[in-house]
Amino acid sequence: MAVNHATDDYVLPCERRLDDIWQRVGQSPDEHEQTCPHCTAARQSLLVLRDATRQLAEEPVPQPVGLTGRIMAAVRADIRRNRMLPLPSANGPVDISEQAVAVVLRFAADSVPGVRARRCTVRATDTGAVEIELSLALRYGGTAPAERMLAQVRDRVADAAEAGIGLRVARCDLVLADLYS
Amino acid sequence: MAMTGLTGTGAPADAPDTDAAAVASSVAGLDDTTLVARAGDGDVPAFEQLVVRHQPAMYRLALRMLTSTGDAEDVVQDVFITAWRQLPELRDDAAFVGWLYRVTTNRCLNVLRARRPTTELDQDTAISGRADVQPERAAEISGELAALHRALAVLPPTQRACWLLREAHGRSYDEIARIVGTSTTAVRGRIARARSQLAEAMRSWR
Repeated sequence: MAVNHATDDYVLPCERRLDDIWQRVGQSPDEHEQTCPHCTAARQSLLVLRDATRQLAEEPVPQPVGLTGRIMAAVRADIRRNRMLPLPSANGPVDISEQAVAVVLRFAADSVPGVRARRCTVRATDTGAVEIELSLALRYGGTAPAERMLAQVRDRVADAAEAGIGLRVARCDLVLADLYS
Repeated sequence: MAMTGLTGTGAPADAPDTDAAAVASSVAGLDDTTLVARAGDGDVPAFEQLVVRHQPAMYRLALRMLTSTGDAEDVVQDVFITAWRQLPELRDDAAFVGWLYRVTTNRCLNVLRARRPTTELDQDTAISGRADVQPERAAEISGELAALHRALAVLPPTQRACWLLREAHGRSYDEIARIVGTSTTAVRGRIARARSQLAEAMRSWR
């Protein structure tokens, strides 16, 4: 295949660009391509390449055994931002990890149909209560008005924190971060 | 979009009795952006779901770039552990997949750069590197595909990366430009060069 490598355009001696021939390679050859030896040769090579490329894209690649497990073992061993929150207790101070609390609060928010909890931060105040900030995605055109869904989320999150875990909730801010369909 | 998972249950919050299995199965139906936000908070099951979803594509890319299962595995493991550590700082949760492609591509290019002295002395090693990848499959793959693998192995690494991201991973020119940190025009040029060289190599199969 004769190609002018001096330019980035890869122009054949007949002045057609290789890129243009590639764009049209799935279609039948136009008048020029039917008679031009350069274009014919280029089309044939590109057709073989297209075929091989499809095979490459579909070729199964066996995943290494246990790779996901090794990644997750490293992740679990990586202690990250494990902030602790004070848990009111009659038998002396008890701390609970923010991440553990966040899992429970997200789960409570998720239980409202059409709600997906995203980021959740829980901070202790000076008085020993907590302030919750939870971002959410709501289903677009959900079954209930957003206002009612958010009120329901607030109730369930506060209930999970107070009745479920035993925290005192000073504030619960909800941030509507996104809609999903 | 899938709407399975917790959103459909409507059950009252029963959080303290929630077991890990329920949490793990609940993340399968969630969109990537939600998972990324949760993983950024330190939610391990959400992150595991992201690994399950995206590890195959990253490994495929790394294997095609490096033609070595061991090196590809090291790169992918490193990419996801880095992802776990950097997720809290990721500003745009929706940009996660692009981030994965960018880090995977860069790690692969670094490995190839470190390897370069030996491959430049003897280009045959770059080609025969294919042999140690999947010896049991070598006989099964078609002549065309084998020829493409050989031709890919001798492309300059950045060209190979751009071509693979476009043709094997379906990324747009704009996305590839962001992944490799260059202009869309430069990406078009690299892919055109790669395509020309690959077509040339496939000539004997037409």
